[in-house]
Amino acid sequence: MSSLAETSDASLIEFAGVSKWFGPVIAVNHVTFQLTRGITGLVGPNGAGKSTLIRLLTGQVRPSIGRVGIGGRSAWSAAAKSRLGYCPDVDAFYEEMSGRAFVRILARLHGLARRSAFQRTEEVLEEVGMADRADRPLSSYSKGMRQRIKLAQALIHDPELIVLDEPLNGVDPVGRMELAALFHRLVARDKAILISSHVLEEMDDLADRILFLCQGRLLASGSPAEVREMLDDHPLKIRVWSPRPRLLAARLLATDSVRGAEIEPGGGLLLNVEHPHNFFRLLEGIVVDEGFEVEAFQVIDASTQAVFNYLMKRGRIV
Amino acid sequence: MFRDLSHFRITERVRGCLLLAAVSLRRTLASRQTLVCGLLLAFTTLAVVAWSLRHDRDSQEFADDIVFPLYASFLLPMFSLCYAAPSVAGEHEEQTLVYLLATPLPRWMVFAAKYGAALIAAMLWTFGAWAVSSWLAGPAGRNVLVAFLPVVFWSTLVYVGLFCWFSAALPRATIVGLVYVFFVEAFLGNVPGIAKRAAVSFYTQSLMLDAGAELGVRPTGVRDPVLFLPLAGNTAQTIVCTLAVTTFLLGVWWFSRREYV
Repeated sequence: MSSLAETSDASLIEFAGVSKWFGPVIAVNHVTFQLTRGITGLVGPNGAGKSTLIRLLTGQVRPSIGRVGIGGRSAWSAAAKSRLGYCPDVDAFYEEMSGRAFVRILARLHGLARRSAFQRTEEVLEEVGMADRADRPLSSYSKGMRQRIKLAQALIHDPELIVLDEPLNGVDPVGRMELAALFHRLVARDKAILISSHVLEEMDDLADRILFLCQGRLLASGSPAEVREMLDDHPLKIRVWSPRPRLLAARLLATDSVRGAEIEPGGGLLLNVEHPHNFFRLLEGIVVDEGFEVEAFQVIDASTQAVFNYLMKRGRIV
Repeated sequence: MFRDLSHFRITERVRGCLLLAAVSLRRTLASRQTLVCGLLLAFTTLAVVAWSLRHDRDSQEFADDIVFPLYASFLLPMFSLCYAAPSVAGEHEEQTLVYLLATPLPRWMVFAAKYGAALIAAMLWTFGAWAVSSWLAGPAGRNVLVAFLPVVFWSTLVYVGLFCWFSAALPRATIVGLVYVFFVEAFLGNVPGIAKRAAVSFYTQSLMLDAGAELGVRPTGVRDPVLFLPLAGNTAQTIVCTLAVTTFLLGVWWFSRREYV
């Protein structure tokens, strides 16, 4: 927690004693933190309150108690949104439009003049790797392409703060590496990025800081190394989709990181992973160096929840 | 530490608002609501053609048989409902509202843009349907075509404001709107007694009776003055103007405050 606390005049986001109820359900429970430049990972299992926290931050909802500020202004205000780029987790667009037209319209809605909007659209499409594929209707895009268009619209007005809700969902491993490189380039341009994920391992090489949210509470925070220390020996179940699941299973079982593998009827490969951190490095190497094709992977949610339970049991609650 | 972002001036906001209205209009006209409106117009056209097969019809009969029960009580609210109810609710249900709420456009401007798009689309259909049906009705219809145009305008304004407010405030705004049209406008607005004053169609009919008085349209039959109790033109006009402004402001207020989760 202390690593996140900065002087308030340098902070972009300020959550001060924020709680949010929906009827009798408390979604965010007395959360206080400040964020500055760099990449911050917001991690927690499904239902932890990540989406509510992001909605509070992006001015979609107002806090029941406390204050959410962006650059000193209430996050609910229109003025605060000039500083904010938001990539939502929902997979929704104006489907009949092309990706280029969609991004261009959002550029105009962010106040860019027509010529600037055209120019900036091309820049961000180039940046997210969609410049040559953005003229097809959005309805024909793959999940990964849709994620890139969502990212492009979030960057269109060159905001200081970029909030990305599960931006790596559905993106293949090569795409993940490209997007991670993009995030680092943005940080080099003095941006603050908040990335939410329910996969802890996604944040290892990405985030400078991590916020753990569980049951609406800020459970822990710190650098990935500090967090790794807490979690390294906790096993995970991971499902991998590959056109050659048997070969991949054989290759992975030959390593120390994978304790067991099961090929599922739907074609998925369910892995019992002993050292998740090592496993993700290994998988990356197998895909890039050995040419194994991995279409997607998913950390089974129950296991992620178990990680948080494990963390709670270890008493690292802040 | 921060860039000065006061560059998002009022002119840029207005430009953004107009662009959003134009995009919304284009999308709404290309939606299935247009198909529904087309079917309604086709049905009306058939009804008017069948009605006009007898040659000795006058404007009074046209008003009693077509204008009051079909056009004022059903078509006007339905055309408005088709475009106004999905204005905000459609974006919310399709989960695209989040993009609009993340822009620096003030919420009231987002609502105004959606309202503007729905109003233009609804006006195209209400005026179009009125022109087509009164033209097809022959001399009986053409006699009142121009006289009733202001009534069509004001009534559409009220209905669009009302259904845009529903859209901003209620879940399943289209279904609620449909129930409202059939129960309040089509049924309650035509029954004897004071209860019909809850229906906009009552004020529409009062305005039409006032505008058509010199053209031979009088409150007769079920619209007998004793039973129907139509309002004077000025009174009805004042109420309709007030409703148009009030429903729009209610929509703005609701949309500016509601959390869309």
